[in-house]
Amino acid sequence: MKSRSMRWSAYGILGVLVFSLVRAITGSSDLTSVGTFNAALLLAIPIALAGLGGLFSERAGVVNIGLEGMMVMGTWAAGFWGYQRGPWMGIVMAVIFGTIAAAVHAVATISFGVDHVVSGVAINLIAPGIVRYLSVIVYQDSNIPGAGPTQSPSVQSIGSNGLPFLSGGHVLGWQSPDLLGSIGAKGWFFISDISRILRGLTGDVSYVTMLCLLLFPLSWYLLWRTKFGLRLRSAGEAPVAAESLGVNVYRVKYIGVLISGALAGLAGGFLAIVASSNYQEGQTGGRGFIGLAAMLFGNWRPGGLLMGSALFGFSDALQLRASDAVHSALLVIAIGFAVYAVAQWRQGRRVGGAVTLALGLGVFALFTYVKELPGPFVTMTPYVTTLVVLSLATQRLRMPAKDGVPYRKGGDS
Amino acid sequence: MRLSKRVLTAAIAVTTVALAAPAAMAPANAKTTVKVGLAFDIGGRGDKSFNDSAYAGLVKAQKLLKVVTKTVSATAGGAATEREDKLRLLAQAGYNPIIAVGFLYADSVKKVATEFPKTRFAIIDDASIALPNVSSLVFAEEQGSYLAGVAAAKASKSGKIGYIGGVRIPLLQKFEAGFVAGVKATRKSATVDVKYVSEPPDFTGFADPAKAKVIAKGMTDAGADVIYSAAGGSGKGNFENATEASAAGKPVWTIGVDSDQYLTASAAEKKHMLTSMVKHVDVAVFDMISAFVKGKKVADNLGVGAGITGRRYNLKNNGVGLATSGGYLKKLKIAAAVNAAAAKIKTGVIKVPTVPAA
Repeated sequence: MKSRSMRWSAYGILGVLVFSLVRAITGSSDLTSVGTFNAALLLAIPIALAGLGGLFSERAGVVNIGLEGMMVMGTWAAGFWGYQRGPWMGIVMAVIFGTIAAAVHAVATISFGVDHVVSGVAINLIAPGIVRYLSVIVYQDSNIPGAGPTQSPSVQSIGSNGLPFLSGGHVLGWQSPDLLGSIGAKGWFFISDISRILRGLTGDVSYVTMLCLLLFPLSWYLLWRTKFGLRLRSAGEAPVAAESLGVNVYRVKYIGVLISGALAGLAGGFLAIVASSNYQEGQTGGRGFIGLAAMLFGNWRPGGLLMGSALFGFSDALQLRASDAVHSALLVIAIGFAVYAVAQWRQGRRVGGAVTLALGLGVFALFTYVKELPGPFVTMTPYVTTLVVLSLATQRLRMPAKDGVPYRKGGDS
Repeated sequence: MRLSKRVLTAAIAVTTVALAAPAAMAPANAKTTVKVGLAFDIGGRGDKSFNDSAYAGLVKAQKLLKVVTKTVSATAGGAATEREDKLRLLAQAGYNPIIAVGFLYADSVKKVATEFPKTRFAIIDDASIALPNVSSLVFAEEQGSYLAGVAAAKASKSGKIGYIGGVRIPLLQKFEAGFVAGVKATRKSATVDVKYVSEPPDFTGFADPAKAKVIAKGMTDAGADVIYSAAGGSGKGNFENATEASAAGKPVWTIGVDSDQYLTASAAEKKHMLTSMVKHVDVAVFDMISAFVKGKKVADNLGVGAGITGRRYNLKNNGVGLATSGGYLKKLKIAAAVNAAAAKIKTGVIKVPTVPAA
């Protein structure tokens, strides 16, 4: 256990070292800037939360394609109640609206045995219609500035904080010193880089972001270290066996799907209140599906899906903030390929190593000969990066054995 | 796997609810039989922007010209066939002229206008249909954006300016080209950081304030202090960034788009909204109807292809311009420069580019 955590820290330090090196060579300061990592967090959380929602549902054996629709419900509720009763109420109502949408999915799939994908797609189709309908009723003829059938008025900001002493957080109104920030501004190789990265992740972070991040270790503990978690996972792996041991599989599945909706709703609420400041029709923009994909590639584990989302959020932040940094990131990728090739070679996988090395050289050539990447290529970086890294990192995926299989009490498998 | 004895079959009938905007029917007037149909873009009435502006033109026509009107609305993510059906419905019910708001209607208008050659159609923001019964109503966004560029260059202290476009499509590259030209003409040393929220065919860039905010934050971090957002609903992210950056001691000006966004902004956002580049869709809609009532056609040669006729709304005919709400242009003493540039564009001394320089 200890050696494993040490190995991961070594990987982390090595990664930051490569980034600082590339930053120093190319001069793309956004590769390790405070702003990039702060934005990465904002972009990653909605995806990660949707993925975590998918995790609870699929671990209980119910495929949840409807995450996107549940998120949509969340964004709308966040905009409406956030405007009326303040941002925290908006978050709470987002969770409730997501849960309501999930309840529909639960009744359809668990009680009626409807195909999980059909029910999920139905939710994705109906949710945008419902929120448009509600918006027309409450906003169309109102005179609230900024309100309309496609958007809610502005919601107040929820407030943010950072680690005291390290990242300039405030304690009871007292502004503590910003140690990481001042080291980050120094321009020391590597040390300033790592300070900026940590400052970006721990400073000026919304309270909701902190809560959301806490949900990941909490979910892991709940699912893998408690009786309830064992029952929930057994409903996804072997529901009939679980039933024979006295587990109320229906109830467990219901709980899983409802938690799933609550988390997707929270993802929507986060998007509307923290990442922006109002409900905007279509603002989810497929994040529910990306979250679902992060969960699949993350091998149905909270840590894996969080890593996938973080990677996506980081590359998305990079491409949105500075296209030149994406060009520099090519050098990082080339180095990454080279290191991976060496690792493969040492494990005796000569052919694989050669292919990886060739890929690395190709990326390096791209970095050297193309000075500016065209816009469309910059925009697709997050998708490509996440796909490549995750498919290299996770070569053995194992979904819950009875995921997506309708379960009937008293039936045999 | 065997199913249990009692198989529950649950039929889920997914009825797609067509959320058409309530029809606005004016009392029929005995003298005139002109029935105007208007199809809203995604968003529909109440968007306080594009569609509401079109609606304002329609209401004006209703009052002054005593025409009968009916409106329909497109749904977000709705298929092209849905827009087509709605136009066809209007044509079959005898509505003439029919005005489609937004370039998304281009294919549908083309089809339906061919089917109903005696009905007059108009489409806003598109000039691709070469049919004698279609008027293309387009705007010289580059001219308004040029003025926005002049204002931005004058208001900026750092000389670093940002442009956020919704989706990289030719329509929005027109904004970019004009804006950059305006900045450069006013202040040679100034730089414009150009970013689009999404690339076609991904149109989510018009409704993703979260991403626009990240972009705007990136620009502010790099020193930009005036940011122009031509990105529909995403523009909100730009305004919010300005509020936060200014609170953190880095004042940032924003420039809105399409309608006078100062009027719909929150109190905090208003403090940083320099101006908006306004497209007077209402003028175009009213023009079209009033010409029709008089028995005329809006059919100038647009010079973009054989048979494509309609009208281009520019600075000269008051089709585009800068909003003055908030009075910041006057306070910062840049109104004079803007007006001077406008005069030069009107007389043709300044020719504003419509495609960004490579």
